[in-house]
Amino acid sequence: MNTELQSFIQKYDLLGCVQCGRCTGGCPVTVRTNLNVRRIVYDSINESMLEDLAKLPEIWDCTTCNTCAVRCPKGLKPVEVLIGLRNIMVESGIIQPTVRDALESVFREGNPWNKPKARRSDWMEGLEVKIAEPGKKVENLIFVCCTIAYDPKVQVIAKNLVKVLNKAGVDYGFIGDDEVCCGSEVYAMGELGEEGLFEMLVEDNTELFNSYEAERIVAISPHCYSVFKNQYPDLKAEVIHYTQLLKELLADNKLELKKELSQKIVFHDPCYLGKQNNIFDEPRYILSQIPGVELVEFDRSRERSLCCEGGGGKMWVESESRKERLAEIRVKDADELGATLLAVACPFCVLTFDDAIKAKGLEEKMRVAEITEILGEAVE
Amino acid sequence: MGDVFVLAEHRRGEMREITFEMLTKAQEIASAIGGETVAVLIGSSVDTFAERLAAYCDKVLYIDDPLFADYNSDKYQIVLGKLIQDYKPELLMVGHTTQGVDMAPALAVELNLPFVTDVVDIIIDNGKLKPVRQYYSGKVNALFNFKGEPPYLITVREASFEAADGSKQGQIQKIDFPLKEDLDYRRFVEYVEAEVGDVDITQSEILVAVGRGLKEEKNLSIAEELAKAINADLCGSRAATDAGWLPHDRQVGTSGKTVKPKLYIALGISGAFQHLAGIKGAKTIVAINKDPEAPIFNEADYGIVDDLFKVVPKLTEKIKELKG
Amino acid sequence: MKIFVCIKRVPDTSEAEVKIDATGKDVDSSKFSFDINDADNYAVEEAILIKEAKGGKVKIVSLGDQESDLMIRMALAKGGDSAIRVEDPRINVKDPLKVAKVLAAAIKQEEFDLVLTGCMASDDGQMAVGVALAEELGVPHAAMVKKVEVEEGKVRAYRELEGGLSEVVEITLPAVLTIQTGINEPRYAPIRGVRAAQKKELKVLTLDDLKLDEKEVNEESSLVELEKLFVPEVVSRAEIIEGEPEEKAEILANKLLKGGIL
Ligand SMILES: Cc1cc2nc3c(=O)[nH]c(=O)nc-3n(C[C@H](O)[C@H](O)[C@H](O)COP(=O)(O)OP(=O)(O)OC[C@H]3O[C@@H](n4cnc5c(N)ncnc54)[C@H](O)[C@@H]3O)c2cc1C
Ligand code: SF4
Ligand code: SF4
Repeated sequence: MNTELQSFIQKYDLLGCVQCGRCTGGCPVTVRTNLNVRRIVYDSINESMLEDLAKLPEIWDCTTCNTCAVRCPKGLKPVEVLIGLRNIMVESGIIQPTVRDALESVFREGNPWNKPKARRSDWMEGLEVKIAEPGKKVENLIFVCCTIAYDPKVQVIAKNLVKVLNKAGVDYGFIGDDEVCCGSEVYAMGELGEEGLFEMLVEDNTELFNSYEAERIVAISPHCYSVFKNQYPDLKAEVIHYTQLLKELLADNKLELKKELSQKIVFHDPCYLGKQNNIFDEPRYILSQIPGVELVEFDRSRERSLCCEGGGGKMWVESESRKERLAEIRVKDADELGATLLAVACPFCVLTFDDAIKAKGLEEKMRVAEITEILGEAVE
Repeated sequence: MGDVFVLAEHRRGEMREITFEMLTKAQEIASAIGGETVAVLIGSSVDTFAERLAAYCDKVLYIDDPLFADYNSDKYQIVLGKLIQDYKPELLMVGHTTQGVDMAPALAVELNLPFVTDVVDIIIDNGKLKPVRQYYSGKVNALFNFKGEPPYLITVREASFEAADGSKQGQIQKIDFPLKEDLDYRRFVEYVEAEVGDVDITQSEILVAVGRGLKEEKNLSIAEELAKAINADLCGSRAATDAGWLPHDRQVGTSGKTVKPKLYIALGISGAFQHLAGIKGAKTIVAINKDPEAPIFNEADYGIVDDLFKVVPKLTEKIKELKG
Repeated sequence: MKIFVCIKRVPDTSEAEVKIDATGKDVDSSKFSFDINDADNYAVEEAILIKEAKGGKVKIVSLGDQESDLMIRMALAKGGDSAIRVEDPRINVKDPLKVAKVLAAAIKQEEFDLVLTGCMASDDGQMAVGVALAEELGVPHAAMVKKVEVEEGKVRAYRELEGGLSEVVEITLPAVLTIQTGINEPRYAPIRGVRAAQKKELKVLTLDDLKLDEKEVNEESSLVELEKLFVPEVVSRAEIIEGEPEEKAEILANKLLKGGIL
């Protein structure tokens, strides 16, 4: 552990920080919690303080949206410092029981929800789903995501995608019960480093994916997409997000959107899709192809999109703050735009916004829907 | 032979209900197999208990000695071991309670008795006793046979049998017992009451949980009244703690607390995945929600589909009535 | 202090539907997830806390097949020093008294000061192994312990009774304590540690190694036998109470109070 502490400065290039404060200035959670990421970058230079810093509750308020890293003029990744501090707690074994249970569950069952591995594809029941076979050629290997696989509220995302893919006659295959957590949230919660859980997942998943003769791995959740794209160096197949695949299908006229949808839609850029991976246009293209749709834009859109607070371990750690949630600010903004449908392309966003719409009493005026759901309706 | 013995359970000057539940069932068994019911009472200054017990059995065997002023499993084990050898009953019933489970398994090992724990029913099949117990927190029942010779030993789950009114006039017999001095290896020190202080919902036995369906903070009193009537602590969904109706540490769910109460009453909670994950360990879940499609009903044991504002005050009232 | 902790791998059936298999005497466990028994997890933590405070060694003991190794490694990663796993198809693992006999034989091979077990296994709910184990070992015990104070040659155990009351007992060492959930907050075993725990000793023993005669612990030796499993009438989905609001309230109040739930 000591050697790790010593490398903290080097690892995160802490001495490169000029304390300009652009990170904190752009950090969305500062409006509701005590997190001051500039301050933490500064304090982390003092190695003897690291363990105390790691114990600060606000370390867990970071949603890993990555705004700070995007904004830093010196190319630092302040968010990684916070994750490094979480790692200190994880290594000590003293973490919130909810985080402990989620991590242990990933280790044992391959998902953070304490659900049996053997029930991962229960959502497929009654659907015509193609399962890929190792060693056999498949164009698109679909990766579902633990949350989509188990949370009934977002299982509809995968179900609708199946419907759309079947309609378009795409060559695809799902993995089934062998699918294991991508590790994105595991990394965000600090279970990383040599021989850690994240490394184990990367190794195991790489081996699993490479056992398929797949041209592309299609991730449904941006969190899975981002981690495969950026933190899995040895994948044979190309990694894409499903919005890229759908855009392709629409552009090639493989999908026909017949049903009119007279809705005013505003698209929320998920952090892990937009500012972290520059996928901005595909979702908008897909939505614009639906007859009847009027597409409007948030003031804070694309790179400046406001984080919904669903990622970065927030599913397992609550902040003490009572202030308005970012998702609530976001749905109010959507309401002001007169939007009737808040479109997202991430399961976490569905959950956060669904709750925020209820909290703000906007159920009558607006709903949140994932792009797959909207397309599922449109291809009927 | 053929007698059914029941260990009377009492604590701090009060008989415990399980005793009468067991004696009622013992009566049924004894008449079926042609034996007597015998209550075994061990304590200090327990004459009145002996008299009360006599109304429920054919005979009360009792030991009255200051050495037994407080419960001590090891002393009980010694006494019961001796009684079993002297009287050779068909069956000895002990409560599956914190007293019973601290003693019965050791007694079973010591005397090599056929032993079944946490019995919820006993079926009499052609004069043969067949205990029923449960697995997987009640999801399957198991019917057992005793293979060995009596005496048989079972621990009986509380509230498995209903206690009848006692109308017998059993004989009361004081007995001598072999232990002459205190044991040096296990000593009773004291009883300690649960600390009153900050509520830790992960430790609560009974919880009343509120969700967005409560609508406003002022309605919290409805839940508080119910909680008071059943000695429960209050908790809530994230919607309830977000709204500030309850403190942050009362949030149940994936990003809140994981709770394991005996009883969880969910008022106006839809049962989101993130909420349900926190109540997996609850033994009995009751849901009151006006939406029949709410996912909470998939997890609940009892459900009421109705307006909580109509049902809950009545529920509180009825519970108070029944409790007297 | 030389501490033994007995742990068991159990299925999580809290939300799964439990189906009886073709034999009628077992359940279909193919869709379950498995983990260390909840109370045992607290026992492991308590043992490690005692070790951290008083020094000594913690040895993990489990009766089970190879699938239990993962859970054992996790306990070792948290601070256990070594482990024994007993595996022998001849043992009637469904009889808590037989399990206690086997565990006792494994523990008796060495000296010990304290043995901790969980107070209950979530699958069979027997609450019998720990106390039976004490009898087999010929040492005193206390069941359902929610607080432990280790003193010279003895422990003070706070037994959790019904209704929030605790009974404090003092017992001499060596002794067996069955640990109640909530006694502590189990720590997380970082996976790096779990991998490193591969290096710690894990002995796999059979009845022959334990010098136990199969006739003492096999199914025939059990004095009770399972005739059959059956699914109780209670359905998996909620029993919906019907009627006018007032009637519903009354029915529910009765169920709660008279059904023994309250
Ligand atoms: C990152 C993240 C973490 C989360 N963590 C948690 C967590 O730890 N715990 C948690 O609980 N949630 C958590 N959630 C939120 C969760 O997804 C749900 O949104 C939340 O649990 C809903 O709370 P609820 O059931 O009280 O409200 P709702 O889902 O709005 O349900 C209210 C219910 O009340 C019923 N109702 C309304 N009026 C009445 C009436 N008069 N009588 C009877 N019933 C009525 C309605 O039918 C409805 O079913 C999290 C969400 C996110 C995004
Ligand atoms: S990742 Fe986002 S939430 Fe975290 S510190 Fe950076 S800007 Fe703030
Ligand atoms: S933006 Fe970069 S340079 Fe500026 S304070 Fe933050 S970490 Fe330092």
